[in-house]
Amino acid sequence: MVTAQASSTIPVTVLTGYLGAGKTTLLNHILTYEHGKKVAVIVNEFGEVGIDNQLVIDADEEIFEMNNGCICCTVRGDLMRIIGNLIKRRNKFDHLVIETTGLADPAPVIQTFFIDEDMRQQLLLDAVVTVVDTKHIWQHWEADEAQEQIAFADVILLNKTDLVSPDELDELEKRIRGMNALAKIYRTQNSELGMKGLLGVKAFDLNRALEIDPNFLSEDAHEHDQSVHSFALVESKPVDGEKLNNWLSQLLQTKGPDIFRMKGIINMAGEEQRFVFQGVHMLFDGRGDRAWKPGERRKSELVFIGRNLEEAKLREDFRACLV
Amino acid sequence: MSGLGITQKNLLEQQWRGQLSEYVTAVAWSVDGCLAVSSAAGEVLLWDGGNGDSCLILGSDNTGEQSIDCLDFSPDGQFLAAGGQDGGVRIWQVKPQLQRITTLNNAPKWVDHLRWSPTANQLAFSLGRYVQVWDAAEQATIITLPFDSSSVLGMTWQPQGQHLAIAGDQGAKVWDSRNWDDDPFLVDMAAASMAIAWSPDGKYLASGNLDLTITVVQWGNPHPWVMRGFPGKIRNLRWSKSMSNTAPLLAASSGEGIVIWKKQTDDRQGWDARVLDLHTEIIQDIAFQPKSLLLASASNDGWVCLWQKAKQIAQIMNGATQGFSCLAWHPGGHQLAAGGQNGEVLVWSESKRGKGFG
Repeated sequence: MVTAQASSTIPVTVLTGYLGAGKTTLLNHILTYEHGKKVAVIVNEFGEVGIDNQLVIDADEEIFEMNNGCICCTVRGDLMRIIGNLIKRRNKFDHLVIETTGLADPAPVIQTFFIDEDMRQQLLLDAVVTVVDTKHIWQHWEADEAQEQIAFADVILLNKTDLVSPDELDELEKRIRGMNALAKIYRTQNSELGMKGLLGVKAFDLNRALEIDPNFLSEDAHEHDQSVHSFALVESKPVDGEKLNNWLSQLLQTKGPDIFRMKGIINMAGEEQRFVFQGVHMLFDGRGDRAWKPGERRKSELVFIGRNLEEAKLREDFRACLV
Repeated sequence: MSGLGITQKNLLEQQWRGQLSEYVTAVAWSVDGCLAVSSAAGEVLLWDGGNGDSCLILGSDNTGEQSIDCLDFSPDGQFLAAGGQDGGVRIWQVKPQLQRITTLNNAPKWVDHLRWSPTANQLAFSLGRYVQVWDAAEQATIITLPFDSSSVLGMTWQPQGQHLAIAGDQGAKVWDSRNWDDDPFLVDMAAASMAIAWSPDGKYLASGNLDLTITVVQWGNPHPWVMRGFPGKIRNLRWSKSMSNTAPLLAASSGEGIVIWKKQTDDRQGWDARVLDLHTEIIQDIAFQPKSLLLASASNDGWVCLWQKAKQIAQIMNGATQGFSCLAWHPGGHQLAAGGQNGEVLVWSESKRGKGFG
């Protein structure tokens, strides 16, 4: 899957969010910030973006199914075609931004970066950034797309905070945290956010530590008022590698479509190294990481984000993998 | 290069070297020995193999430095067409004097594929989910073919000119050029068809698919063969010349390897594979020498390899330090051109002392 390559890889930011949430404003902030660099922007539909000197390409939202029609393993065909053409250059672009329409499921975009070998080699998916219109999100809260955009995100902007009360905002953030324990959540007005939080996130880089919101871990119970939610499993006992492997492969085969993202660090029995992994639907990428430090508390942490996941059952199954 | 068992004289010698300012995206020969070369900076260069003159017939200024991605000469050498990311399809008349006769504007669509009919001066080119056919005699677009299910990922004429096959999601659609309005014949695949090739005798159609399989259809036979086991994307598919007693060889490149498929005499036994293994990086292009089994391969590793009888390495050529991107044999087979990722263009010609091609 995605491996961090030499510095020649080009970072990619995927922007999602409903129409009117503030994606285009955010895109303009990025382009202003990246002034002087070559930024290629792939959009599904031309908005009213005044973008000078940048390469803006209109993409069709074509979904190709993989593996005999498994719906959880799909790619965006037009994206492959466009990027395949763009990387045939000596003087390539410095940054690629993909802006999806409000109604797009972000999974096929992310999976394209895992499946296409040229994209995997030459590009590095940096982060999925989702802009949420805090005032209007409730109107489409029940829509699958809205929930998926939140569930797949690495960075979430709670935008237009000037239009809602602090209480409403707290409630929204709590709900979003329940759906996605991994994303960094920022409160913004006019999509304004320091670029450090937005670029160079390296959310798909396995070398980067798993960061779960400590508040999320300390809370005992989470509200699961929606079908999409996330939870963490934390265990100190070492894990039997073979059992874990069997469990995960079976889980991905049966629950792949419902597992949006997962990430984990494993304390593998008999290993001095940490084992790290991530997954998007059926796609799985795992490998040995750095050695546990002397005195470091060895433990396994897994985070799942998905739809209708049986937390208690998964917890029990994971415990069965402990030595 | 000792240890590779190369003992014979070189088959090819370098004849010419040119330079463009960016990645060479395509090379194409005319039957009269003119070579056209395009670059990712939007240039098109024409080299006349007869007198050795070269000139830039399209500069980056004309294309806004947007890549020209496809090039083709009409089979009679009369016309040259080029298409790319600015959406322009530029058509030149080559003889008696070079002049651009038209530019079809399709911006903001990209023109990724473009190919003249092997038997008529008709040019097929892709525009997103469509293919249009332009007729040189009428100087007009005569038909728009909708692929519908996805953007066009590949396109090839049947060498006899009767059919045009268009590849995309879920397979290929094959139109009859005598009745463009007829519904296309569908060749279904389990995944998107990314590369497509028709054998010179018109009997076999091969498709390289997104699920890392190759489907081979014998025209008229409802049961295709499916080849599996490729390590990565199937980047190139090429058929050899026709063979007297069996199907032509099918060469497929995937990653750093080439697989040569040979059909067994008994249909039920399918196809045998052998691997040509020498390149150390991704192979960007392969091509059989016309009327022979000599296969050329160009790779990111900076080598163009010649494989005698599609088996044994016969010669290794270099000249593009950042790797090669594309290659093409002259229709007569006595010259080979290759483009490089840094803008290099090289032409090799048959060595005077070398004998025993193919």
